[in-house]
Amino acid sequence: MSEQIANHTIFARGLSKRFGDFTAVNRIDFEVRAGEVFGFLGPNGSGKTTTIRMMLGLIQPTEGSVEVLGIPVSGNPELIRPRVGYMSQRFSLYNDLTVSQNLTFYGKAYGLENDLLQERMQNAVEMAGLVGQEKTRTRDLAGGWRQRLALGAAILHKPELIFLDEPTAGVDPVSRRAFWDLLYKLVTEGTTIFVTTHYMDEAEHCHRLAFIQRGNIIAHGTPDQIKAQNMSGQVLEIAPDDPERAMIVLRNAMQIDSLPLEEVSLYGALLHVIAKDMQIIKGDISSLLEDSGIKVEHAAVIEPSLEDVFISSMR
Amino acid sequence: MELLLIGWATSRPITNLPLMVIDYDQSQTSREFVTALVNTGTFALEGYTWEMSTVEEKLERGQIYAAVIFPPDFSEQLAIASGRPTLQVLLNGAESSPALEASRSIEGVTRDFGEHITLDRLGLSPGDLAGFVPSLRMWFNEKLSEAYYTTPAELALMLEFTILLFAALSFSRERELGTLEQLLVMPFSSLEIIAGKAIPVILIGFADFVFLLGVVHFAFDVPVRGSLGLLLFLAVVYIFVELGKGMVISVLSRTQHQAFLLVMLVAMIDLMFTGYAVPVESMPVFLQYLANLIPAHHWLTIVRGILLKGAGIAVLWPSVLTLIVLGLMIGTFSLAFVRKALNWE
Repeated sequence: MSEQIANHTIFARGLSKRFGDFTAVNRIDFEVRAGEVFGFLGPNGSGKTTTIRMMLGLIQPTEGSVEVLGIPVSGNPELIRPRVGYMSQRFSLYNDLTVSQNLTFYGKAYGLENDLLQERMQNAVEMAGLVGQEKTRTRDLAGGWRQRLALGAAILHKPELIFLDEPTAGVDPVSRRAFWDLLYKLVTEGTTIFVTTHYMDEAEHCHRLAFIQRGNIIAHGTPDQIKAQNMSGQVLEIAPDDPERAMIVLRNAMQIDSLPLEEVSLYGALLHVIAKDMQIIKGDISSLLEDSGIKVEHAAVIEPSLEDVFISSMR
Repeated sequence: MELLLIGWATSRPITNLPLMVIDYDQSQTSREFVTALVNTGTFALEGYTWEMSTVEEKLERGQIYAAVIFPPDFSEQLAIASGRPTLQVLLNGAESSPALEASRSIEGVTRDFGEHITLDRLGLSPGDLAGFVPSLRMWFNEKLSEAYYTTPAELALMLEFTILLFAALSFSRERELGTLEQLLVMPFSSLEIIAGKAIPVILIGFADFVFLLGVVHFAFDVPVRGSLGLLLFLAVVYIFVELGKGMVISVLSRTQHQAFLLVMLVAMIDLMFTGYAVPVESMPVFLQYLANLIPAHHWLTIVRGILLKGAGIAVLWPSVLTLIVLGLMIGTFSLAFVRKALNWE
């Protein structure tokens, strides 16, 4: 097992956290490899933040263990903390300080001084796109800039591993895109990233993922592995002229077992229908809709997206 | 709960003020007079003495609130129609409400006593005689100035509130804003974080105290009769005591609002036991014992003692010692508690 640990930036076995009767995290196993973007996906309240807090030594696991950078977290958080960066769910900078005051505080906290501090601060300001705004109080910054500044502060000391807890929650799509570009840049520099999110498009960008639901990891692997292992059927994408009525018709058929469907869900103006042996029943689906007076403009079996997998495995 | 406690402690009339008597007369009349005073309920007889120095010392230490001194010819003067009986009464003027209550009570008893004696023994009507007037003297506050009662107490309490509030907001504010977690994962030890939070509170609290002391002394003419150095030193001790309490409140609270409400709760309970509103001696015995565990109670004794009575360490040592012991206990507990809270959030 020690060989495995050596290759992994994070190695968790049987990690559990109970608060009274409530099990927030239930004996989870996962590992994060050096230099990858590891996505931790789950709905709100599924145990994502609790897991991060255990890895940072902010709370003690009820059971199990986790090693970060090859060091058991329990009892040694002070060895790990200087080598990792953390950007919490909440905005983690001091609102009443300016951009450069915040960065100075972070930098000095991690022992950066003088020229090195100035250089790193300059980089962070450039990265966040805040050149010329060093004297602005952070409370006056727009969301996307604040998130990038917070990331800049969290990586000022060039940590080997960064924990990002829902870093893009409430940030507009353009800013999210820019944020992920920054993450890829960090990965090319050798940083390992552990990120929690509930945005499915972001999950597709991760090298490897774990799905967590009510404290249990229900899927674990690369996006392709997860799709292969966790989808019991294929996805038929349908473009009906009345998607809502089409959904009702198909769900009725599913309930009375007249068609062997597993899931019917709206996907914008499209419908995603999941079933085994889709090629065989594809015709039946189309004719059922036509019989109900719904015109099907287009229907095709497609590659499942992570969202399909997520919805199908969350059931 | 707090309302009940405060109601219980403050709704009662001022009673049981400790009284000391020097009776040079040693007559039945003087004894009857003392009994009459005690029967009012306002006073509790602490004891008799022959020594003026004992009375002075006990007044200084706050062990008694009033002393009555009967001259040797008290009953003699009272017995003859043309006599001019005199009576000396010393009151602790450092605390307003008990002093006023005591003087009212003594005046009442005196008038009543005078009338009874004259009617009983001489058969004359009350209007025929001037009776006698006790010579009242307020110690420590000869002018019976309101500023003397209130400002030292306010000075003392203001320090408590300032420290408690600033300390209580320290961690609760970071937690509310979401920066606490970030702070905790930085490579600081919990001791460093606590020191970082405590030092500004100590500096602000001390500067605040010095400033207010200046205002009280120069603007309200409240004297500093004792040692200024001792007062400032004990202020620092007291700052640490309240800092410890405030820090515990701070890590217990999830928001600044919650911290503020907890400070109000603690401060109101403390206020009750300081003797600022109602003397502790008038409270139920159980609460009197409890008062000894309240640091603010001792701190107020110290501030009044040094400012108004000119008391030194020789007189104040019980309060000083208790304050230091309570400070060490609260400080140790608070440090361990806050460190634990910060280590395992």
